[in-house]
Amino acid sequence: MHTILIVDDSPTIRRMVRGSLATLPDTTFVEAVSGLQAIEALAVGPVRMVILDLNMPDMHGLDVLRFVRSHSHYRDVPVLVLTTRGDAASRDAVMQAGASSYMTKPFVPAALASAVSDLLAAARTPSTPAPSSRT
Amino acid sequence: MSEPPIDLVASFMDDYFAESEEHLASVRRSLLVLEPYIDGGDLPSSTVEELFRSFHSLKGISAMVELRAAERLAHEMETCLGAIRDRRVVLTSPAYDALVEGTNLLDHVVAARRTGDAIPAIEQQIARMSSAFAAAAADLRLASGVKAAGARPETRWKVTFTPSPELVARGVKVDTVRSRLSDIGRIESVSPSVTAGGGIAFDFVVAAPDDKALRALSGDGIVFELMPADPAGSIGDMSALAPRAIDAAPVEANFVRVDLSRLDDLMRLVGDLVVSRARLEAGLLRVERFLPSAEWRRLQQEAESIERQLRDLREGVMRVRLVPVAKIFRRMPFVVRDLARDSDKRVQLETFGQATEIDKFLIERMMDPILHLVRNAVSHGIETPEERAAAGKRPEGTIRLTASTIGESVTLEITDDGRGMDAAAIARRGRAAGIDMPPGELDPRALLDVICAPGFSTRDEADRVSGRGVGMSVVRETVHELGGTLHVDTAVGRGTTFRAVLPLTLAITDALIVHVGDRTFAVPQSAVREVAEVDTQALRAIENNELMTHRGAAVPVIRLSQLFALNAAPLSRMHVLVIGTGQAAVGILVDRISGQREIVVKTLRDPLVKVAGVSGATELGDGRLVLILDVGGLTRSLRHRGPRIREAV
Repeated sequence: MHTILIVDDSPTIRRMVRGSLATLPDTTFVEAVSGLQAIEALAVGPVRMVILDLNMPDMHGLDVLRFVRSHSHYRDVPVLVLTTRGDAASRDAVMQAGASSYMTKPFVPAALASAVSDLLAAARTPSTPAPSSRT
Repeated sequence: MSEPPIDLVASFMDDYFAESEEHLASVRRSLLVLEPYIDGGDLPSSTVEELFRSFHSLKGISAMVELRAAERLAHEMETCLGAIRDRRVVLTSPAYDALVEGTNLLDHVVAARRTGDAIPAIEQQIARMSSAFAAAAADLRLASGVKAAGARPETRWKVTFTPSPELVARGVKVDTVRSRLSDIGRIESVSPSVTAGGGIAFDFVVAAPDDKALRALSGDGIVFELMPADPAGSIGDMSALAPRAIDAAPVEANFVRVDLSRLDDLMRLVGDLVVSRARLEAGLLRVERFLPSAEWRRLQQEAESIERQLRDLREGVMRVRLVPVAKIFRRMPFVVRDLARDSDKRVQLETFGQATEIDKFLIERMMDPILHLVRNAVSHGIETPEERAAAGKRPEGTIRLTASTIGESVTLEITDDGRGMDAAAIARRGRAAGIDMPPGELDPRALLDVICAPGFSTRDEADRVSGRGVGMSVVRETVHELGGTLHVDTAVGRGTTFRAVLPLTLAITDALIVHVGDRTFAVPQSAVREVAEVDTQALRAIENNELMTHRGAAVPVIRLSQLFALNAAPLSRMHVLVIGTGQAAVGILVDRISGQREIVVKTLRDPLVKVAGVSGATELGDGRLVLILDVGGLTRSLRHRGPRIREAV
C-alpha cells in the first residue's frame, strides 16, 4: 500500500486527480490545499509520491519543490508537477527545481494515471517521516 | 493532446459550479476592497494576490471541464491582475470597470453552461480589458505601488512549530497553529525549515505586543523566541517566499459542501417523522381509556419528549440550510455602481442585516427579484444629481437594503430616497395599457397591482446582471410562490420602499388549525398577525363584502364558508384571523380554532387540483388530508374591491 499526496487548492481538481487515479492498485491518497499543508503531510508521512500544483496560497509550488529537494530525507520522493502554466520557461524552471515529471491542466486522466504508474515503478524508496518529526 | 472523456467531466460539473461560485463570490469581495484604491493609493497586496489566484483557479478548473470561454476570460483577467500585482499598471477607473464587467461576464458564462443556454460572446469584453489595461500601463508613473505587509510593530517573535503524526492526529497542524497565532498577533511570514535532527519545522514570524499569549501556546510542538532587532536572513533561506495572504488562512477544513437535494431528502424524512409522531399522539388519545392512568401518563411523557427532540431535529436540519443573506447583498454594489454610472446618477448603497440567515432555496429564488427591485430603484427611483439638487436633496441618492427576521418570517426591504411613485401617472399609464383597475386614486395595494400587472413593465428593463428579463410581475409571483407577501410604500418626492415578507422555511411550519362547519383547515401561523373574537352582528355589509371594525379601522372580512361553499350554521360569535397590517389588513372568519400544530406542507402541483385560496395540503396524523389556506391569495382576492370598500366607509 502506498500513499500519494495530492496538492492543489482547487477541490474540483483534487477530486479529478483522485478520479483519474482510482484504478491504481494499493493506493491511498492524502490531500493538501496549500504549500505548507503539503510539507506538513510529508513531515508526518509516509508519502510515496507527490502531485503538486504551482499556484497556491501561502507558498508557491516551486518553493515546495525546492524545499523537498533540499531535504535529504525527501530528496528521492517523485514529484509530478501538474500546472496550468504551459510555457517553456515555466516548464524549465520546474524541471530545474527537481520535478520528476511535468504535466499541464487540463490533463488527460489516462495520461496522468500512466505517468504516475511509471514514476511509482521507478521510485526506489518510499519516504518515511524524518526522525525528529516524531518528537 | 486528446480531450478528457466526457463522463469524467460530466461527473465533476457540480463540483465545478460550486467552486466557481465560491471563487466569483471571493472575487466580488476583493474587488470591493480595491475600489477605494482606484487611481492611486497603496493597493493591499494580499487582496490583489487573492484575486490573481481566484482567476488562476477559475482558469484551471474551466479548462478541465472544457468551458473554453470561461477559461479564456479567466486567463485574460489573471493576466490583468498579474500586471497590477507586478506593478506594471496602475488601477485606473476604466481598468477597474473592465475587471468588474469581466467578472460579471464570467459569471454569465458559467451560469449559461449550468442552464444549458447559449454561452455569451467574450471577445468584445476581452478587447475592452486589453485597451483599458494598455491605457493603465501608460499611467504607471502615477502608481504608488503595491503595499507591503504592513507597519512593523515593536516586538516580533519567531515561533517554531514541529509537526508530528501524534500532533496531527490530535488536530494540532500547521493551519491550526497559524490560526491560533493570528489570534494572538499579526503573522508576518511563515516558512518551512529543516531541524537539526533532519526533520521539518515551520517558522512563523509573529508581531505581538508581548509574550503572554505565546507562553500559553507553547508546548504541543511549539517553541518561541524573541526575534533580533534586524530580521534580515534570520529565518533561513526560505524567507523569500514570505508573506503572501498569510492572514487569509484557509478555513476550508471547517466546511463540508453538501448537495442541496440531500438536505431536501433529510427534510422530507423529518417531515415524515412529524406526521408519524402526530399519528402516535392520535393513537395515544384513542387508547387512553384502556390503560391504567400511570401507564398512560408515562407513554404520554415519552411522546412529549419525542416531540421536543423532533422539533430540535427539525431546527437543526433547517439551520444547515440557512445561508446569510449577504450572499444576495454582496452582488448589489456592482449592480448599483454600473447602473448609476450608465445613467449619470450618484447612488450610495447601504446594507443592513447581512448576517440574517435564510433558507438556501429562498436565497436562490429571491436573487433575481431583489436584483430587479434594486435596478428599478436606480433607474426609476433615484433622480439625477441636478434633479435632486433642484428638489433640495443631497445630490447623492441612497438605496438601503435591509434583511431582518421576526419570528418565523424574514423581511427583505429595498428603500430608496428618490422621486417616489406618482399614483396618478401610474394609473394613467395602466389604463392606457388596458389594465383593469379600480376608479379613483390608487392606494398602495392597488398601485402594486398595477405595476405588477404583466404588460405594465417594459422590455427595455432587460436585466443587465442576470441577463434575463424579470418584470415586477415575476417579482410578485416569486414572492407569492414562496408563500410570502409583497408590499409597497411610496411618497412623491420622498422615495419608495418595497417589502417582501417570506416564511423562513417552506417544508414544515407552525399552523393554526381552524374549523368551519365540519371542515378543518390549516393556516400558516407566520401569516397571522392577530386572532380576535368578533360579534357577527357588528359586521357591516357594503356591496358584496363585509367589514368589521378592528382597532379603530374598517377591515374587510372573508367568510371561508362562503368562499368554499361550505355548509356552516350562522354563529353569533366567530373567530377572526387578522392577516396583514394597515391598509392591507384582511380578516378571515372561522367558527373555531382548535389549536396550534406543526404541519408538513405538501404543495399541490397538479394544476387540475389547484384551487384559489389553497396553497397545499397536510396530514394531521389521523390520516385525513387537511387543506392549507393560501393566505396571500385570499387577501389578494379582495384587492380589486378594497379601495371601493374603503371609500364607502
